[in-house]
Amino acid sequence: MKKVVEVFLLFLLLVFTPHAKGTGNSPPGKPTLNRCRSPEKETFTCWWEPGSDGGLPTTFALYYRKETSETVYECPDYHTAGKNSCFFNKNDTSIWVNYNITVVATNALGSTFSDPVDIDVVYIVKPNPPERVTVIVLEDKSWPFLRVSWEPPHKADTRSGWITLVYQIRVKLEQEKDWETHHAGQQKMFNVFSLRSGGTYLVQVRCKPDHGFWSEWSSTSYVKVPDYFHREKSVWILIMVFSAFIFLILTWLLHMNSHSLKHCILPPVPGPKIKGFDNQLLKNGKSEELFSALVVSDFPPTTSYNYEDLLVEYLEVNVPEEQELMLEENKDLHDGCLKSECSTSDSDSGRGSCDSHTLLMDKCGEAKEEERQTDQERMGTEAEDMVSPDMSSGRVKTWPSVFSPLPQYSSNTLDEQSSLEMAKQHYLSDSQFLPSSTSSYLTQPGHGTKEALGPSYWEFCLSNKQPHLLHPQTQARQQLQAHSDVDISSIGRKQAPAGLQSPLLRPTEYVEVQRVNEEDMVHLQPVVSGCGQNNCSPQMPQGEDYSKVKGVDSDNVLLLQRNMMEEDRCPCEHQETNGVKENCYTSSTVTTTQKPTAMPVQDEMVLGMNGYVDTATMCILPTY
Amino acid sequence: MHIMTVKQLGVWAILLWPYLLTVSIPLDCREEQSSLSRCPSISQEKLLDRVIQHAELIYRVSEESCSLFEEMFVPFPLQLQRNQAGYACITKALPIPSSKSEIQQISDKWLLHSVLMLVQSWIEPLVYLQTTMDRYDGAPEMLLNKTKWVSEKLISLEQGVVVLIKKMLDEGMMTTTYSEQGLFQYDVPPEMLESVMRDYTILSCFKKDAHKMEILLKLLKCRQTDTYNCA
Repeated sequence: MKKVVEVFLLFLLLVFTPHAKGTGNSPPGKPTLNRCRSPEKETFTCWWEPGSDGGLPTTFALYYRKETSETVYECPDYHTAGKNSCFFNKNDTSIWVNYNITVVATNALGSTFSDPVDIDVVYIVKPNPPERVTVIVLEDKSWPFLRVSWEPPHKADTRSGWITLVYQIRVKLEQEKDWETHHAGQQKMFNVFSLRSGGTYLVQVRCKPDHGFWSEWSSTSYVKVPDYFHREKSVWILIMVFSAFIFLILTWLLHMNSHSLKHCILPPVPGPKIKGFDNQLLKNGKSEELFSALVVSDFPPTTSYNYEDLLVEYLEVNVPEEQELMLEENKDLHDGCLKSECSTSDSDSGRGSCDSHTLLMDKCGEAKEEERQTDQERMGTEAEDMVSPDMSSGRVKTWPSVFSPLPQYSSNTLDEQSSLEMAKQHYLSDSQFLPSSTSSYLTQPGHGTKEALGPSYWEFCLSNKQPHLLHPQTQARQQLQAHSDVDISSIGRKQAPAGLQSPLLRPTEYVEVQRVNEEDMVHLQPVVSGCGQNNCSPQMPQGEDYSKVKGVDSDNVLLLQRNMMEEDRCPCEHQETNGVKENCYTSSTVTTTQKPTAMPVQDEMVLGMNGYVDTATMCILPTY
Repeated sequence: MHIMTVKQLGVWAILLWPYLLTVSIPLDCREEQSSLSRCPSISQEKLLDRVIQHAELIYRVSEESCSLFEEMFVPFPLQLQRNQAGYACITKALPIPSSKSEIQQISDKWLLHSVLMLVQSWIEPLVYLQTTMDRYDGAPEMLLNKTKWVSEKLISLEQGVVVLIKKMLDEGMMTTTYSEQGLFQYDVPPEMLESVMRDYTILSCFKKDAHKMEILLKLLKCRQTDTYNCA
């Protein structure tokens, strides 16, 4: 029983004894060389990590072997570098050779070798951090910057070129957490710009050989940047103020010109508008008033007035040479007469027509419309037959304008009356002519072809003279002339040659319709100069009847012929003139279709170029 | 890090390009008979500076090539064991001082000659390296270009050192002539891993030797400027 207990106790003791002692006696664990470093490429140190202890005091030994030889050396210095380290001094350090290093842990029970490590000192260089790092603040035109300078670690021999170091700086503000790293290369000084005014900066430097490891960061240097005024800010403030000022000015300008600008950018859209149209009426629903407003009084356009305005034309009649001078003398006088007569006329072409010597004072007589209208009533229907648009209005203004005896008019009322009477006569003549005309009238100016009306003792020339007196509407003139042609043709109704005979005209002679005889012949007489205005009309020293209108040529040329008037049939007012045979000659080419046979005198006609009688070709009337 | 060094390399290349050209031009014009040719003469200090810069650049490029090659072709476990395959550096036999104290003891002449020896011994292996690199599948263009560039520049470096020796030591030297026969001429291409390891060894050894050249030249420069304080 006791023996069993003893055996059991012994057994237990044997079992638990090793546990009580911990790991117990075992060979040491395997140490490991964790790193070797050389600070300056002249010495180096290796550190190892011991393995498990094994329960027994363990000693370590480091053995190395150089590449070139097989000799194994032991670590010369175990203490300089601290525990578990081996320091190799200059004499023991060779560069460019591989060291094969092994650490051995030994205890009472055994020894354990670590894994060998090959190192080359050149590649394990880790320098010390740079020393004496100084940071100063330098001024650069009110923009300060940091100048960081340092020195290499005192052990590293950079001077001889044994070791070449490159540096790195990092900077950060005190409050921030991110560093700003700058690479400084091999230089030992560095500038840091773009500082914040009044901030505190932290600066650190480290270095590395061209082959090796980075050193540790140097100790932190603190620097405070003084407060400085940001010049850039002031510039920006100036710019802002300036631009605000300009903006204000622009706004003010815009406001001032807002209206015109609005017109420029957004032009008002013209709405539909009808003259005389009142929207309100439409809204109110009174259509009658509405549409009555639409009716324009002068629509359809009564062309008489307009045409009369347009037709600024006067006729020139060939007069005998004797009278020509007189005519010319009286020109100005006539103008004066005419002008007075024309005072009531329209400012438009009427004046021109009035001013013309030879023009019938139709315009002048415009004020006396009512008188004419009475006549017109008689001839209204007939007048309506008038082909020419002027006539259709019943106002044979153009006609009279053509026929108006210029020299007779004067400011004198008597003259006016006479002129009026003349005008009347003209009207009459005009109107009379028209209905009697058998042939169709020229519907349009310048189209007269047929109108071989009876011979009209009328000779007149459309004068192109005094264009300044005429209204500058040349086309109207032409129209007028054409109309004159037509009318002339219509006058001459007795004999209707195929074409009108162009009147024999003189450029400077003016003609006036003296009278209209019962046979609806218009007697023309040259404007007499020299005679008193009062007497001009009634006294015609030489009543000369001008050639009748033989007809209108196909080229719308009024063919006139001179005729001798034997008798004056006009009862009172008109003076009978003795028709004088006149010899006409044409100075230009004459295109005549026919020659009136009835007329004793056959005059050559001159055809105008544009349907009116060319005053260039004039007949020279023999003066009496 | 890699990209940065590439950029730096590019900057170096741009900066040193004219220097390299100058180094390649024969600088000693006293031998020239023709009077028309304008030989640029360069001072000794400038020449030494340029040679040093040249060596620095070569070292940088070789370092990049080696790490590139190591990443691509060398299996990870073998990366730390540079001499595992047993290929020692070809320049092992050269009597190059291996510590600073030793270097301090040798003369200028010996420094220059050491550098020249190193340069001349590496010209051929680099040429050989190019041919073997072409055989690798998927070798990046950059790696091939770098090795090609290095081998070319090494020749320029040699010329510069020769001129330097002539200037400093007044000795005439012969530049190496390229010979077809090389140490590494193999009829049968070895297997892949072996080839890789050998090339890897070549690259790393060259990298080390490039660093040697650089250090030696720098020390020489220091001696020229400041005789007493240099190592």
